Amino acid sequence: MSYFFQLVVSGIVVGSIYALAALGFVLIYKSSKVLNIAHGQIIAAGAFITFALTSKMGIPVYISFLLSMGITFFLSMSVERIFLRRLIGEPIISVIMVTIGLMSIIDGLIFLTPYGSENFSFPKFLPTELIAFGGVSISWTQLVGVLLTATMIAGFSIFFKKSTIGISMRAVSDDQLASMSIGISVPRVFGLAWALAGLSAAAAGCIIGNITGLNFETLQAFGITVFPVVILGGLDSILGAVVAGIIMGLIQQFASGYLDGNFGLNGTAEVLPYIILLIILLIKPHGLFGIHEIERV
Amino acid sequence: MKKRTRMLFKISLAFMIVFAFAFQAQAGQTYKLALSLAITGPTSDAGNPYSKGVEDYFRYVNDMKLLGDDKIDCTIRDDQYKTDVTKRNFEDFIDMGIVFYLNYSTGSTLGLKRDFEEEQMPVIPASFHAGNLDNSNYIFLPIASYSAQAIGLAEYIVKNHKGATPRAAMFLHPSAFGRGPLSDVQKAVKAGLDMNIVEVVEHGKDLDNTAMLKRLQSKGVQYVISQTIQSPVATMIKDASRLGMVATSFGQKGKITFTGCHYTGGNDLVALAGSAAENYYWTTSYIVTSEPGAGTDAQIALAKKYGRDDKAAMSHNYANGVMVAQVAAECIRRAKAKGNKITKETLYAELLQMNGMNAFYPVTTVGPVTYSKTDKAGVDTLQMYSVQNGNFLSVGKPFIPEYTSKIK
Amino acid sequence: MATNRWMATGNYFTSYRDEQRIYFTNLDRTIFSMFLVLLFAWPLLFSLSNKYMLVIDNILIAVVAVIGLNIVTGFAGLISIGHAAFVGIGAYTVASFSTLIGDRHVIITHCWPLMILLAGSMGAIFGAIVGLPAMRLKHLYLAIATLSFQMIFSWTINFLDFFNQGQTIFVGRAYWLTGKVGRSDHYLFWYYVILVVVVLSGFMVRNLLRTRYGRCLSAVRDNDRAADAMGMHPGLTKVYAFALAGFFAGMAGALHAYVYRGVGFESFTLHESIAYLAMAIVGGLGTLNGSFWGPAAIMTLDLQVEHLAEKVGSLLPSNMNLATALNPLSFGLVIVLFLMFEPRGIANWWRIARSYTKLWPFRY
Repeated sequence: MSYFFQLVVSGIVVGSIYALAALGFVLIYKSSKVLNIAHGQIIAAGAFITFALTSKMGIPVYISFLLSMGITFFLSMSVERIFLRRLIGEPIISVIMVTIGLMSIIDGLIFLTPYGSENFSFPKFLPTELIAFGGVSISWTQLVGVLLTATMIAGFSIFFKKSTIGISMRAVSDDQLASMSIGISVPRVFGLAWALAGLSAAAAGCIIGNITGLNFETLQAFGITVFPVVILGGLDSILGAVVAGIIMGLIQQFASGYLDGNFGLNGTAEVLPYIILLIILLIKPHGLFGIHEIERV
Repeated sequence: MKKRTRMLFKISLAFMIVFAFAFQAQAGQTYKLALSLAITGPTSDAGNPYSKGVEDYFRYVNDMKLLGDDKIDCTIRDDQYKTDVTKRNFEDFIDMGIVFYLNYSTGSTLGLKRDFEEEQMPVIPASFHAGNLDNSNYIFLPIASYSAQAIGLAEYIVKNHKGATPRAAMFLHPSAFGRGPLSDVQKAVKAGLDMNIVEVVEHGKDLDNTAMLKRLQSKGVQYVISQTIQSPVATMIKDASRLGMVATSFGQKGKITFTGCHYTGGNDLVALAGSAAENYYWTTSYIVTSEPGAGTDAQIALAKKYGRDDKAAMSHNYANGVMVAQVAAECIRRAKAKGNKITKETLYAELLQMNGMNAFYPVTTVGPVTYSKTDKAGVDTLQMYSVQNGNFLSVGKPFIPEYTSKIK
Repeated sequence: MATNRWMATGNYFTSYRDEQRIYFTNLDRTIFSMFLVLLFAWPLLFSLSNKYMLVIDNILIAVVAVIGLNIVTGFAGLISIGHAAFVGIGAYTVASFSTLIGDRHVIITHCWPLMILLAGSMGAIFGAIVGLPAMRLKHLYLAIATLSFQMIFSWTINFLDFFNQGQTIFVGRAYWLTGKVGRSDHYLFWYYVILVVVVLSGFMVRNLLRTRYGRCLSAVRDNDRAADAMGMHPGLTKVYAFALAGFFAGMAGALHAYVYRGVGFESFTLHESIAYLAMAIVGGLGTLNGSFWGPAAIMTLDLQVEHLAEKVGSLLPSNMNLATALNPLSFGLVIVLFLMFEPRGIANWWRIARSYTKLWPFRY
């Protein structure tokens, strides 16, 4: 039975890290209706910036973590300014393809540095002991990941509910034209959404990087890995990202815990999320929490 | 007037260039070799130092005039781990007239096998997949195959295990590259190797292996043999060390000893897993720079000479690349010494004769390189290493796995 | 059709039929036929090295695949991030035969035209199946559904022993009237085969677009509800767009299998799907001639960058990876720059060039 609970706890923990990685997608999509496929690259960039600041300049990890969040904040804001501002109003295929192009560009830029093809790991900054209760255990990194996800999501929720900028962002996601008419600068809101997404990407990058070690291929692949999470939750729902993240985490843990090695199957955790995603999409075409678009002819 | 002087100048320049080239052509021959590998894209962390190793050694051969006035011209191309690009590169290399080809990935080696056969081109890939050798005459593995490595690990476990039959699990990359050794280890168990393979795990992009490790432990698994790349192993052993599962000495009771083949280890693993890599057992045929010796000194000196950073200099994949280049250069040297013309046929013949008295001892490996019609794996000797205080240190003497010949 | 192209000062169509013609003037037709003849004749005049022949074959295979992608993404407006998987379906159709009956069986070596068609049909069947969610899903959700298909395809190939776990499954050399096609003629022979497929596909699609079924596609792209109101069935149209795309992709896959004489899963990954999309975009989405420009442009760029990287690489300090970084960098830049400055792709330059020459020397 403790095995079962371990799977549940691991699933929830991994799921919330997924949610953190998925948050960036949702923030961008919510305001500007863009699916940023290059998010995985920004996650990797965030992790490597933190590492570079720590190893090259000797800044303590905590501070360089915050610094890197700041850097990716401005980095993705400028990405929006340079590349995506021009494409407002273009068909979605163009916008998706721009982010795919960005993916290659960031790949290329990272390959310019040693970080593209070498392996590193963060210096130890969290206790290595386990947190165990009743036969179930998680690590400090994972705990920090969960707490970070929780604070980020709480923070963003309050930000969207209470602050003026947050409310204006929600207004833009509701109706761009109407919000423009009441004096909200729509492009600035887009820029801010990207910036916030960059910030969350750096956070996700550091957490994932601390778990897997810093390898570019591994890190950037998380952009694709969390796709099912984002879509399952509904592209424009923060709550959806959390719920879907945890669902996917559980599915993966149960798949590798109970399916692999039995029935001649193996590596099912890689494919099962996509199968379940397809099934759920057939029943709920806008994900679990996505807003059903009303289309007029 | 001005025009005329300029014209004269140009003509004399042209003559000088032509003359220079003609002179060069007289001075010595240039042998064309080629390497196609993944410097970007998947597995670039291994491909990058590998390419540097090959490049540096050939430059060294040319600079030190190891082949007299003859030069080696090795074209190195990035194929981003795509078989299609490798094929295009290979066609181009054939047109260039190469005499020896170095390949990289398992996928492309298998995919181009028939082309190698048709072209009768001697090939040394960086993939030690045993399947490369099936139905093939021209592919030579630089060191023992992954299967031999996994069997070597299994034998080492059986020999050093105290108590009843050891229970082991295999941790594999979800591809042919990872699954290859599985059937051979199972065959070895059938042939009498006293080991119980309890479970075979194929990893994904897992962020948490706690449940898997607990399951293994509850099944009484004491050893994990991994055949994959470093990053998943790093994630696994980090989780294991956190759970306090990692054995502090080989085969410690109630704990798990983690072991792995060539591409799971090396400094990259220590870089990724940090202190969690302690007591990780790894086997390869290459020497590592954390074990001082003539070979490692030479490797580091070579890297220094051509301005490589420490990370590349210390990499076992750099040694890998150097060794492959050494074999190629040695073949050319031997063929030259016999007064043969350097062609792919003569080099192929040299490779086949590289055994017995003619075995080649590159300083970068733990044993001699031997090839023959029936033995297409170069260095058959393996060395166990384990991580102590962040360095891979050798454990015991180099050995040759016994069951590889028994299961044939 | 008698009007002289060079004398016309504008479009003077008097009927809808006039505008729907493939060739507007006799001269157009002559030029086009000459061009076709040239395409078939040039290899007789001078010969290319194997490498470049392979590159050309590769471009033409990509053209077939991108024609398919253009139908579903360009004309029907359904984003497909799983096109390489359809190509893979075609290739693995051939590979399955190869595993079942041996790679040198008569059916594979002699009946290759049949195999190509069969692979196309398999592609179409899978296309229709993958297209089914399109009845309910839209936009990005549909895009991700196709991505799911790509992932499921990769996993299946990688997992099943029947597909050799993604390792290369060999396909024997094909036979022609003159006997076995040897190594030296291999790429040339397949150049002609692929060229025939390309030309036929081109005509097929060009004509399809003139029929109600073709116009159905654009109507559904522009607004599927309006199309519904006008009596079309958007759901079925989408499914059939996917099936058609799958057909072309499947044929491309079979050709790929024959040209490379083997099928391995590395050629059909997500990265390839993205490359196909990039080709369609750079060529010009929703245009037929864009399907020719795109692959040619992207693959030539790839080669040029490789040459450049080799030159630059030797000049730089040994720890710089500039040469290797150039490839993804240039690929990404080309996509982004095209989308920012020429979203209609190279096809638009072609259109501009044509309309310029049409009215030359008189301009607006």
